[in-house]
Amino acid sequence: MLVELTVNGEWKSADCPPETTLLKFLREHLMLTGAKLGCDVGDCGTCTVIVDGESYNSCLMLAARAAGRDVTTIEGLADSQGVHPIQEAFEELGSLQCGFCGPGMIMSAKNLLDKNPTASRHEIKDALSGNLCRCTGYTKIIEAIEGAGRVMSSDKYPQSNTF
Amino acid sequence: MIKKGRGMACMWYPIGFTVMANPSAATVKVNTDGTATVLTGTVETGQGALTVLGQIVAEALGIATDDVHVVSADTDTTPMDYGAIASRTTYVTGNAVLSAAEKARQILFEGAGPLLGVPVDQLKAVDRKIEVLGFPSKSLGIDEVSQHCEAVIGTPSIGSASYNPPTVEMDPETGQGKPFNTYVYATQIADVEVDDETGEVEVKRMVAVHDCGTPINPMLVEGQIEGGISMGVGFALQEEILFADDGRQINPNLTNYIMPTSLDMPELEVGLVDNYDPTGPFGAKGAGEPTAVPTAAAICNAIYDAVGVRITTLPATAERVFGALQELKKAS
Amino acid sequence: MNTRMKNLNKADKTAITAKETSTPIDKKDSHKVPTDNPVTYPREFPQHESRMNTQAVGQRATRPDGRLHGLGQTQYIDDIKFPHMIHAKILRSEYAYAKIISIDTSAAEAMPGVFATLTGKEIPTNSFGPTLQDQPVLADTIVRHRGDGVAAVAAVSEQVAEEALSKIKVKYEPLEPLFDVVESFGDDSPRIHGGDTNVYASKVIKKGDVEKSFAECDHVFEERFTTQMVEHVPLEPHASIASWDGNGRVSIWSSLGRITLGRQDIARTLDIPQSKIRLVGTIVGGNFGGKNEITNEPILALLSRKTGRPVKAVYTRGDEFVSSTIRHPFVMDYKTGVMNDGTLVARKIHILLDGGAYCSWTGTTIGKGSILSPGPYNIPNIYVEAYAVYTNKTVTGAMRGFGAPQVCFAYESQMDTIAEKLGMNPLEIRLKNAFSDGSSSPTSQRLQSVALKESLNQASERFGWQESEA
Repeated sequence: MLVELTVNGEWKSADCPPETTLLKFLREHLMLTGAKLGCDVGDCGTCTVIVDGESYNSCLMLAARAAGRDVTTIEGLADSQGVHPIQEAFEELGSLQCGFCGPGMIMSAKNLLDKNPTASRHEIKDALSGNLCRCTGYTKIIEAIEGAGRVMSSDKYPQSNTF
Repeated sequence: MIKKGRGMACMWYPIGFTVMANPSAATVKVNTDGTATVLTGTVETGQGALTVLGQIVAEALGIATDDVHVVSADTDTTPMDYGAIASRTTYVTGNAVLSAAEKARQILFEGAGPLLGVPVDQLKAVDRKIEVLGFPSKSLGIDEVSQHCEAVIGTPSIGSASYNPPTVEMDPETGQGKPFNTYVYATQIADVEVDDETGEVEVKRMVAVHDCGTPINPMLVEGQIEGGISMGVGFALQEEILFADDGRQINPNLTNYIMPTSLDMPELEVGLVDNYDPTGPFGAKGAGEPTAVPTAAAICNAIYDAVGVRITTLPATAERVFGALQELKKAS
Repeated sequence: MNTRMKNLNKADKTAITAKETSTPIDKKDSHKVPTDNPVTYPREFPQHESRMNTQAVGQRATRPDGRLHGLGQTQYIDDIKFPHMIHAKILRSEYAYAKIISIDTSAAEAMPGVFATLTGKEIPTNSFGPTLQDQPVLADTIVRHRGDGVAAVAAVSEQVAEEALSKIKVKYEPLEPLFDVVESFGDDSPRIHGGDTNVYASKVIKKGDVEKSFAECDHVFEERFTTQMVEHVPLEPHASIASWDGNGRVSIWSSLGRITLGRQDIARTLDIPQSKIRLVGTIVGGNFGGKNEITNEPILALLSRKTGRPVKAVYTRGDEFVSSTIRHPFVMDYKTGVMNDGTLVARKIHILLDGGAYCSWTGTTIGKGSILSPGPYNIPNIYVEAYAVYTNKTVTGAMRGFGAPQVCFAYESQMDTIAEKLGMNPLEIRLKNAFSDGSSSPTSQRLQSVALKESLNQASERFGWQESEA
């Protein structure tokens, strides 16, 4: 079947079997391999993407269900002109080790901070509870999200930078 | 009722393989612009090994970490290395890249000595310069010297070396010997809350103070410790592969095999003791595995302190702690 | 050109990211997204002072690979694709312990989309392992745990390969499995690998005279501690790609943490020279000891040779649990003699390791576990005896600490039991017995650069141990 959708602001379409998950569609049909396959049943969160402003495990969503909607993946956060404050904070604080959880973790963080840039430590932990990490003990990830939240809630940060 | 408790545990842990030779080799090339390329056969598995190796080479050559590019893990191009195992990369591969960098540096010194009019042993590499000891104003840029060595003298600044930690065979009857060249040490202390009606344990806070010799990159060492503790929390309280009677695993998935999430992690306070091991690169030892070692013991000691039950079988699940509490009640 | 293609072209030409807009994008008008947003946020990659300092050691230098992780640019194995690449899946045993009577792959091979199958009989040297080569790449005569692979399929997609697995007919003759480590250690147990015992590794550490010392101690403590099987759970499952070329040279990309030894192992199983193998380790998505052994690399290499195509295989999360290695469960009996003032005098330890179906890194685990088991304390009399035995369970191997977390759980739990009985503070009894520079280890090694007391004191101070005592 033909699936048409917006990914990172670009209009995309591809043919795929009807059982194709959004994760598979992104990775294999659009060659966007940022979202990872860690368990394929929605336990680990490495496949997290944002669809119409809400975060989803893309391994649990059929590509067909995302048709006509706006999908943001990790590849859509930075562009030729700059990196997202969450990405910057993750790099600066050494928040990622093996990095496999990173794209999903950052998308969950973005989903939270877009809505609540002044999220408390507990709200951050809560928002990440569906994203497993085996390397970091989550500590530096949480610190980075707190730091990014401070940037995103400052006057200098363009409030239009959410979608 | 929620009962509070605290418990400590310390540990020791060796660096490298047990007795068996476990060498690493490395090559360092100083480019003609004063930057450097490192070849290593180790694999980056998340620890930050490549960054640490880059820092060691940078320090040896007096250049910045950003000036060093580390190429790794391709049997067609990189030298042998026994791999990212046994907490050995910083120490063993680190010593190898350090020796390789020193050999490359020696070529720079030999090129710079006549230009600066001093013997080779009067030079040091610092701040992207080859400098005369005691005369900071007498120096040449490392780029100039490297260019001179390669394009004028014809001896490019390349060094290759290997390192293997010395050990002594263990006696087969008594086990006496020197199985490792060095060890690291640590203490972790846990603050827990135990619900004595359900047996549920929550780790509220952990303090961890580790020895890794010189921390080449303190941020990465902290990352190892924080991650090790999370693995230790899972080992202590939650994780267990269960088997059915026919030998099938019952929970081979992340739905029913419960590893720590962000909500299970205590507040962590991490410290490093000031230590220097003369056998390690710039005094460094290692930090990978030992971080996960004392956590479970500290937590179980804290459970005992809170509710008076000694957990002797891991994991200390709520069911197990509750069962032990019932036994304790019956006994008293 | 149809409308859809026109739309695509327009989108490509404008190449705008949605990040630039405050209005939701209408799919039909995606090319109309405004581009004149003011630039108010740094637009270049940040440069970190920590990487620019020429005194590099001790810097909190950021990681170049860390930046790529955050951008989604890191290429793990599953992110790599080659032209004409096909996908492999492995059929796992239906029994924990059984003889294989026959394997019939003909129905699977006949399926459209299937390129080749492979069984253990086709593997030149069908065994591997870092110490003992007791593990088959694909089991061909006997299965010893449920995670043993028995056949592999390479097909156009993972789905087709998966379906083909269900068409492979394996006839087994079930044997009586052995799951209990204590039972396996017993004299009458069935022998999982033949021979006259299930014990396949042992270690003894002997220093001083424990039995004589126990008689002279004020107190003797005896306790048994046991630990469980634990999985590494790297977020990236094991993955590899093999591509056999016309020169008989095979290139393998693998999530393996030790490529030098890995290439030796692969060369041995394939019976080809090491120079014919290129093994590339990419960025590994978590290891923790679980990716220190070859797994399906030889299988993929042979399937690639059969089909002339690159072959990829990625473990499912289920494969990761049942067929990769896991942490050894320990049964540990500790007997410790102390004086009234808390001085440790003698420690006798008996350890039984559940060694799973194959040896893997058990040799290292039993060695480190035994050496470390008395704890970081000055104890003049030590006797440690450790045995690893086969069971028909998941293969136990290297996992962060090689037995150290298990024995630390025992020795540190018992330290608190002793402290309580003697009315001592847990910090005090540890400081009293702790190693320091020049201490003699259980193997009589003179220790240097020992920072144990420093770590005890600093941790206690940071925690507020003495203050919180009341």
